[in-house]
Amino acid sequence: MLKRGSKARFILITLLLLSPGLLTFFLLFFYPMMVTLTRSLRPEGEQIGWTLEHYVTFLAEPRAREVILLTFVLSIGAVLCSVLLSIPLGLALRQKLRAHRFYRLTMITPRVVPGLIGALGLLLLFGSRGWVNLFLIRFVPFVNEPISINYTIPGLILFYTWLYFPFIALTTLAALEGLDPAIEEAADVAGANRWQVLRHVVIPLITPAILAGSVLTFMAAFGAFSIPLIAGGNHRPLSVEIYRQIDFTPARWSAASARAMIMAVLQVIFLTIYMRVLRRPIT
Amino acid sequence: MPDYMIELRDVTKRYGDLVANDNVTLQIRRGELMTLLGPSGCGKTTALRCITGHNIPDEGRVFIDGEDVTDVPTYKRELGMVFQSFALFPHMTVFGNVEFPLMIRRMNKAERREWVMDALRMIRMEEYEDHYPRQISGGQQQRVGLARALVYRPKVLLLDEPLSNLDAKLREEMRFEIRDLIDRLGITAVYVTHDQAEALALSDRVAVRNAGHIEQVGMPDEIYDLPQTRFVADFIGLSEFLAGTLSAVHTEERTATVAVDGLEIHVPATPEMAPGRKVLFFIRPNDIELLPASQESGINVFVGVVEKKTYLGDRSDYRVRVSEGLELRVQTDGKVRFEEGENVKVHLPIPHCRVIVE
Repeated sequence: MLKRGSKARFILITLLLLSPGLLTFFLLFFYPMMVTLTRSLRPEGEQIGWTLEHYVTFLAEPRAREVILLTFVLSIGAVLCSVLLSIPLGLALRQKLRAHRFYRLTMITPRVVPGLIGALGLLLLFGSRGWVNLFLIRFVPFVNEPISINYTIPGLILFYTWLYFPFIALTTLAALEGLDPAIEEAADVAGANRWQVLRHVVIPLITPAILAGSVLTFMAAFGAFSIPLIAGGNHRPLSVEIYRQIDFTPARWSAASARAMIMAVLQVIFLTIYMRVLRRPIT
Repeated sequence: MPDYMIELRDVTKRYGDLVANDNVTLQIRRGELMTLLGPSGCGKTTALRCITGHNIPDEGRVFIDGEDVTDVPTYKRELGMVFQSFALFPHMTVFGNVEFPLMIRRMNKAERREWVMDALRMIRMEEYEDHYPRQISGGQQQRVGLARALVYRPKVLLLDEPLSNLDAKLREEMRFEIRDLIDRLGITAVYVTHDQAEALALSDRVAVRNAGHIEQVGMPDEIYDLPQTRFVADFIGLSEFLAGTLSAVHTEERTATVAVDGLEIHVPATPEMAPGRKVLFFIRPNDIELLPASQESGINVFVGVVEKKTYLGDRSDYRVRVSEGLELRVQTDGKVRFEEGENVKVHLPIPHCRVIVE
């Protein structure tokens, strides 16, 4: 009798402890998701009826493929650039060089500045009369007129990198600092020069951490909004495309929802493939 | 042909204010196993790292095989090294780990395979070639570490506390295995440890280190029987230290007498002895004989009472009070038994009595 009573209490307590999590899940994820899904299947402006037209019209547009491709190019480009930058930086910072704490702090600043403000600042910096172009024209031979960076795809990747670099840099640095120094010394004594140690030992060992860090960054960059909105010009990734539908009067909620669902599905597909790849042992 | 395989000449290495190696000179002969023995923080690892090139000495030169390598980067020094933490490459199989030095040296694949399998056979790990380091035991990992260090037949094998992360029983087994391998290959080896038993069992010669300098270099039995400083005597095995004064030197018997707390102890004489000098007398507890009270008196035989007895299995440890202010620690093998409070005689055999003139 006693045993049964205590078991019921155990279940009750478990439910109580789970409730904040479940509540958050239903209110903040499941409910909005279902609303968006339903909305995307309603005719525009209607509360009843079902239709696939928003999906069909969007996907039938040749622009749709461009938009999706651009979203991938921007987020993958930003992740790749960040990874490539973070490795030398991490290698330098783990030496605990003078003022390394200051550099560490500086590395995170892009996350402290709101993306909106940051984007405006970057536009000024890289504009045709910004410091970067003034510098290039003044000091680099054969550069006689401003290079257009703003409102181009490489420019956007640069801005994305500026915003998302801290995530990757922190994981890379943590991975590098987590390595047993003796392992690198072992490679060194065995005859490997610096480059060979890096290539055969350090990079393979930090790759899992970098991959884990980069998937999160990719997901964030995939949904990036303020930077492409302000600095994208005619290059509009999915997030801006969705926003544009709402910007019409009257707002096209159903069309926006359909695009949002497509974006969500793409992200899930990418994540699934990624998890598959990660599960394989790295050789 | 140079006389020494490795030579540290007046090497000084500082870390800020700390002098980890103070003007150290050390010569290691071709084909010998030299152990750097000392407590942690004595700079033995720093000295080893000067040989590998992971530390650059502030002053002095390092020679390997007669060549000044002080400014040669580590990867060109042709060394093999075994680490305390094993330091295997976790992303490579046992085969890959042992192959690594050969791969770096761009040996062709077929030949590589042959050399790696030879090395794996040498440590009886050939069946484990496909295993990853995390899948094998600590002892096996360290054997792979050895194979990786030896596979390309380096000039010198360096071992940095290689057995410290293994349990006691395995440590003893591996000790013999390492000694055996080194004998078979005839390679010069430098072995760093803080374990004196390991050092005595393994080495051709031992360099006992203390706080940045070398206290004594010698063969294991010299280090054990004829320590030249208090530190060495204290660090290698148990010792009872008693402060005393030389009271007489008997030239004919080649002995001297030391007055220690009212006792007159006879010791072997050495040239620098002169009456009146302050000395430090010491003897190892297991060299002292414990005799029944009925035993006749004689030279270096003193009357005492057993104050405390500790049974240690293969031997017994006694505290024997010999005079008002003097208690001696005595260790006997299990056959001799005395009880607490029993009257005994203590015999300090002259050859085992040592004196350091201060």
